[in-house]
Formats: sequence, C-alpha cells, structure tokens
Amino acid sequence: MLFKLSLTGIKSRLKDYIVLFSGLTISSAIFYMFMSMALNQNFLGKNSMMSASMTGFIFAFGAVLLSIITLVYIVYANSFLLSMRQRDYGMYMMLGAKSGKIGILIFLETMVLGVVATLIGIILGLGLTQVVSNMLISQLGLTITGFVGFYLPAVFVTLIFFVALFFIAALFNRRTLLKTPVLELLHGSQKPVKFKQNAGFVWLQALLGIVSLAIGYAAMINVKILVLASIPIALVTIVLGSYLVFNSLFTAVINVVRKNHKTLYKGLRSFTLNQLRFRITDYTRILSMISILFALALGAITVGLGFEKLNQQFENFTYYDAQIVTKDQKVAKEVAKLDVKTKSTYDYKIDGGTVYFIKDEFEKTPLKAMINKSSNSMGFVTTKVGTYSVADLAKETSGGYYYLNNLIPNKKATEQSPMKNVFLTQAEFDAKPQTANSIDLLTVKDFKNDAKTLQAINNLQEKKDPRLAEYMQSTKVFSYLGVRAMTSGFEFMGFFLGIAFLTMLASTLMFKILSGAQSDVSRYEMLSKIGVRRGILRKSISTEIGVLFALPGILGIVHVLFGLQFFKAFLADPYDGIWLPFTIFIVLYMIYYLITVWLYQGIVLKKIK
Amino acid sequence: MQNLNVVDVQNVQKIYGKKNEKQYQALSNVTFNVKQGEFIAIMGASGSGKSTLLNILSTLDQPTAGSVKINEQDITSLNKNQMADFRGKEIGFIFQDFNLLENLTDRENIALPLSLQGVNSKKIDDAVDKIAKRLGISEILSKYPAEISGGQKQRVAAARALVHEPAILFADEPTGALDSSSAKELLDTMQDLNINDHVSVLMVTHDPFSASYASRILFIKDGQIGEELVRGTKTRAEFHHEIIDNLGTYAQ
Repeated sequence: MLFKLSLTGIKSRLKDYIVLFSGLTISSAIFYMFMSMALNQNFLGKNSMMSASMTGFIFAFGAVLLSIITLVYIVYANSFLLSMRQRDYGMYMMLGAKSGKIGILIFLETMVLGVVATLIGIILGLGLTQVVSNMLISQLGLTITGFVGFYLPAVFVTLIFFVALFFIAALFNRRTLLKTPVLELLHGSQKPVKFKQNAGFVWLQALLGIVSLAIGYAAMINVKILVLASIPIALVTIVLGSYLVFNSLFTAVINVVRKNHKTLYKGLRSFTLNQLRFRITDYTRILSMISILFALALGAITVGLGFEKLNQQFENFTYYDAQIVTKDQKVAKEVAKLDVKTKSTYDYKIDGGTVYFIKDEFEKTPLKAMINKSSNSMGFVTTKVGTYSVADLAKETSGGYYYLNNLIPNKKATEQSPMKNVFLTQAEFDAKPQTANSIDLLTVKDFKNDAKTLQAINNLQEKKDPRLAEYMQSTKVFSYLGVRAMTSGFEFMGFFLGIAFLTMLASTLMFKILSGAQSDVSRYEMLSKIGVRRGILRKSISTEIGVLFALPGILGIVHVLFGLQFFKAFLADPYDGIWLPFTIFIVLYMIYYLITVWLYQGIVLKKIK
Repeated sequence: MQNLNVVDVQNVQKIYGKKNEKQYQALSNVTFNVKQGEFIAIMGASGSGKSTLLNILSTLDQPTAGSVKINEQDITSLNKNQMADFRGKEIGFIFQDFNLLENLTDRENIALPLSLQGVNSKKIDDAVDKIAKRLGISEILSKYPAEISGGQKQRVAAARALVHEPAILFADEPTGALDSSSAKELLDTMQDLNINDHVSVLMVTHDPFSASYASRILFIKDGQIGEELVRGTKTRAEFHHEIIDNLGTYAQ
C-alpha cells in the first residue's frame, strides 16, 4: 500500500523526476565516457606526446576531479530528491506508517532511481562516446587511434562508483528522514532565516576576497618568476578569494543598493534583491566551487583548442610543403590535385660525395627557408621567410649549406661529413657524366587542406624507391602529421573534460537552486495574492536565477582570462581564438539556465492560476 | 457616500467539478453587499463556503454564475493581469499566518504594494512612515519578521494591507495565530481604523469574539448566507453574547 502511495507521489511530480533522472543518467554517461578514455592505456599511449603512463597520470588527476564533482553533484541531486519527498513521507508517518517501512521505502527509491539511471547512463555513454568522438574527430580534423566506445573496465568502474555513491546517498536519506521530527518534515520549508550581518565585517571580507584574488592573478601573470610556485599560490588564493567574494562582496553591494529607496522601490526589485542576498550567502560554497570548476572546464577547452594552434605554428617551421623527387605518372596525378602556390625546380647530379647544381637556377629562383626571427622569453620561436644566396649555399659554415644538403635524396652523407654543394654553369653541368636528377619544391595555398594529398605523394615516392623512406621523414607533412597526432589527443581530452565538467557543474547548480524551490512556493503564492502579475513573478524568478548563474560564470571567466597567462609557457598566444570555447561554454550554460528557470517556475508557480 | 456599495455580490454560485464528474456546490445564490465604511464579518464553520467566498471576492477564484462588484467594478470580467492589478490596487489582505516575506525588512514588506504600482520612492517612504505610525510599529520598521512578535507581525501585515489605501480590507481569520491579548489589540486597531479612517473591512472568521467587533455579521452555512446579525446600538459584549446564542441555534 505504502509502495503504491509512494509511486503516486512520484507520478505527481513526474517532470521533476524526469529532470532528476536524466541528470543522473547524463552524469553517469559522462563518467563512463571519461573512464573509457582514462582507463584505456592503448588509446592514451598513441595519442599524446608523453608516455602512456604520464598521460595516465594526467587522466587519473582528471578522474579524481571528475569523481569529486560527481560526488558533489549527487549530493545536490539527492538533496533535491529529498526536498521533493520529505513532505510526502512526513505525511505517511503522521498517518501512522512505521518508520522502519518508510526507511526501507526511501532507501529503495534512492537505490532504484540511482541504479537504473546509472545503467541507462552507461548505455547512453557507450553510444555517446562513439558519436562524440566521431563528431570531434571529423569536426576538428583530429586523428585518434585506439579509441572504442565499449570498454569493459570503464563499465565496471562506472557501475561500482555510482552504485556505491547511491548506496551512501540512500543510507543518508533514510537517516535524515528517520531522524528528523515528523513536524519538521511537514513544515521544513517554513524555517525562519537569520539575516543580520555586521556590515563592517562584510566589507572586511569583501576586501580580503578581492586582495586574495589579486594575489592569485598576479601569481599566474608572473609564472615566469615564480615558476612552479605560482600553481599552489594561485590555487589557494583564488579558492579563498572566490569564497570570500561570494560570502561578502555581493551581499555588501546589494546592501548598498537597498539603502537607496529610489532604486529599491521599483516593482518587485526589493523582493528579488533580498531573495538574491539570501541565496548568495546560503550558496557561498557551491557558487565559489562552481566559479572554480567553471574556470577549470573552460580552461581545459581553451587550452585543448590552443593545441590546434600549435599545429599552425608548426606549419611555419618549414617553408616547402612538398619535395617531389620521383617523376612518374602516379605522382604527377597526385601533384595535379594540389592547389600549388609556388613551384621551384632544381636540377642536380650526384658524384660520390659531391652534388652539382646549376647556378643560374638558384639565381633565378632563390632557395627559400623559414628563419628564426625571434624567440620569446618562454622559448617560443617565431619565424619569417628567408632567402639563401648561392654564396651562402656553397659556404660550408652557413646554415643554407646543410639545408640544401638535406633536400637531396639518395645521398651517402652524414651529419659529420655532409656532401659538397658545387654550383656550375649550365654548360659545365651538362658536361658532367652522372645521371641528371631534379627536385620540385612546392608550396601550396592551404597546407592543412592538402595534407592528405601530400602524404599520398610521399607514400607513392617511397613505394617507388624504398630507399627514400628516411628522406620522406624530413618532409613537412611527415612531421606535421606526427605533431598533429599528439596534439589531437590533448585537444580531444581538453574538449571532453571541459564539456563534461560544464554539464556537471551546471546541473549541480541547477539542482541546488531547484531544491530550494519548495520553500519559495508560499512566497510566490503570497505575492500573487497581493496582486503581483504572473509575468512579473516570472521575470523576478528569471532575474534571480540569472544572477545566480551569471556570478560564478563571470568570475570563472575572469579566472580563466588570468589563468591563461600560465599557458604562455606552451602556447605562443593562449588568447588567440578564445571566442570559440567561450561561445560554446556560454551557450551550453545558457541552456542549463533556461531549463532551471523553466523547472523552477513550474514548481513555484504551479498553484498560482 | 455612506450608500456606496464597496462590495456588491449578486446571486453568486460556485460549483466545483466538471459537468460529467461528480459536482460539488460550494456556494449557491449568495447575495449581499458591504457599504463603504462598514465592518462586516462573515461567520461559518469549516466547509461552510466562507473560504470559497473570500477567494472569489479577492479575484483568486471565479464564480460559476452571478456577479461580483468591488468598488463598482465587475471583477468577474477581468483577465488575469487585470485581476492581479485589481488585487494590488483595490484590495488589502490580512491572513491568519501573516504571510510576510521573511527575507524582507518590515519596511520593505510594507512598501511592496506601492512599489509594485510604480509610486515614487519618496511618496512610498512617507506612506510607509504614516501607516506605521498609525499602527504603532514605527520602531520596528528596520527589523525582519523573524525578529518580532506575532502581534507585531500582524500589525506589519495590516500596514502592508493598508498602505496603498485599498477600497476594502479583507481579513481572513486575522487573529487565528495570535494570543488573546495580541488578538484583542489587533481587533481594537481594526475597529479604530474602521471608525476613524473609514476603512471598509470584510473579515472572515469562526471566532465569535472577533466577529463581535463587526457592525454586521453574515452567517454562512452549506454555501448559503443564512442569518444576518446587526450590532446596532448594542455594546460589543452584548453583541458577543448574541452571536454565541445565535451560533448555538444556527448550528442545528
């Protein structure tokens, strides 16, 4: 009978249950997706420039972070569940249901909800992993190897982790319901709130908060001086600063606004502001946590995408995009597919340790190369196009000498004893008895676009003459694809972690806000009675929740903007192109905001006609 | 002036439940009026229909048939926003459980109806100070509802109900959550407001003592207005006895 009753209780709040359930499902799906990467050594080893064990460590760190946020998420989702149920269960107890039975019921409800959500989440995760990875691979043009949707150890880890969490949550719920007096269960939402804060103390906290944030930001800007010390300094001061700012600054600002009745007495503003004041103080911990996680997640995406720029930078290290030494139909056919920008052809003859060139050819179309222009303080090199004169190329001590040397295939030279470059007139060159060869050096308009064709050209040449294998490794496209494979791994991880964190933290905030909705029902009902239009109530709710979402978001963005300073060590300009991850983030975050507002209004304004 | 009907209810009927479902008639053929400056009490037991009636009067619910006019305006023809605006402008509410906003100071609570109407802040402050002085709560305006007593809370609620000078004050069991001395103080204040400030009051109650403050009492039973008692020249104590006697017979 009780079981039936509790089912009808669920039915009456189906919408909220669906949200809770899908939230749990998504969190377990994300957890599975992450684990399927983190535990898959095969995938990790092939996709990063570091060893599999090193990436394994990075991923283990990510897994710990994800577990912590999942834990927090479940705690809030669970408190939302409890806030929905405590009145019902309180009522059954008042009607004489035995507390032991109620305990079993709430325990079962939590467990069943959790386990079913986890199982569906894993299945969803399997599919999503495949879809998302395919999508990312094609969207970003990444090359990922050894990645599969189904990975058994990940399934186990996810299942065990979540079942354990729900088991604890179920025990907790059972305890809470049984320990709380029935009357409090029934009227839990009507507890009075204490408000008075010492204004001076609030301002002191606000000041301390701003100062600690400033120290943290300064530490990240001065990473060059502080080196590794900047990480712990920034971590401590920014966490502390965020907390203090949420605990005091916004309250202080609202209090200032409240003093001015001219701005306060505008429609429902006094109500909205006071709701916010109460909420922000009540939510200090979760808001500061969210601002930091928001920064971590956005940072992960931004840096991940930043690696894409590493590829671009890499493109600028080599001037010629293709080195064609094999002249046959097949190669010519592939070359025809390229969107060629420049083409220089040089004839040569190899005579033991000497290579003969035609001087005229080099004077007409000088050999070009990328030359180091400058390197920044972090050791970052920027390059420019340079030209080698024939004199340079012939002089054994110049860089051009080796550069040209390396462009010639099938030579028997080593680093220690390079071949001799000799420049002849056309007549002298023709007089030499050796076979004439020629090399075409091409540049294309869009290297990234033609990379596949360029690789095909390399393969064809190597197939024709296997001795070219080593030579082909010196081509631009070979190194480019190598670096790409490594950076893709990081890009993928960054993107994945970023999105996973964002969804988790946004839904954590969502559930935290929604679990407070119950206690607001009577407030909005009362406002409606005294003549507040429904539309104005809606607007007040949107504003209130909007501020609760915006504050940690904005603070998180500020954290990232300063935090990116830190990555100047790896990336030339970490700020370049940040609009993309920022936009993705803001759009996703907005979607969570809109869902929260919609659900909140559903709960709060339900009774208001 | 005296003859103006601030509330005019004609043949109001309220039926719950759709046509093909089991129907329940909460109100049938209710007709009465409240003249401006009158203090009316509506008495009835639980389930008598008094809450339904109050909900209809305060535009929170709509009658199935009949007409309701407040301050000469037919409220049954209003749309939802107009109803909300109407409640905000023309009606003041006092509830049994105060219904103050816990997270607003008393001053902010009282100011709310005026700021919703877009009144300028200077005028709001003046109006709040005036009504607070009238109700003797000037000292506690900067406090929060949780910091004051039940009697004070109900005074703050009364101030909020009256600050915008509504056409009528609806009081729903206003003394229900108060101890006897606070209750008496509140009722004295309401009577004072009625006599000296000509505030029209419609109070719903089942408490004979509260009702004895009214100048006229309507008894409602099974959704119909039955008897009517007029205080006339009787003292409050005499009227109180009359109500109790009447209740004894009326209940049967």
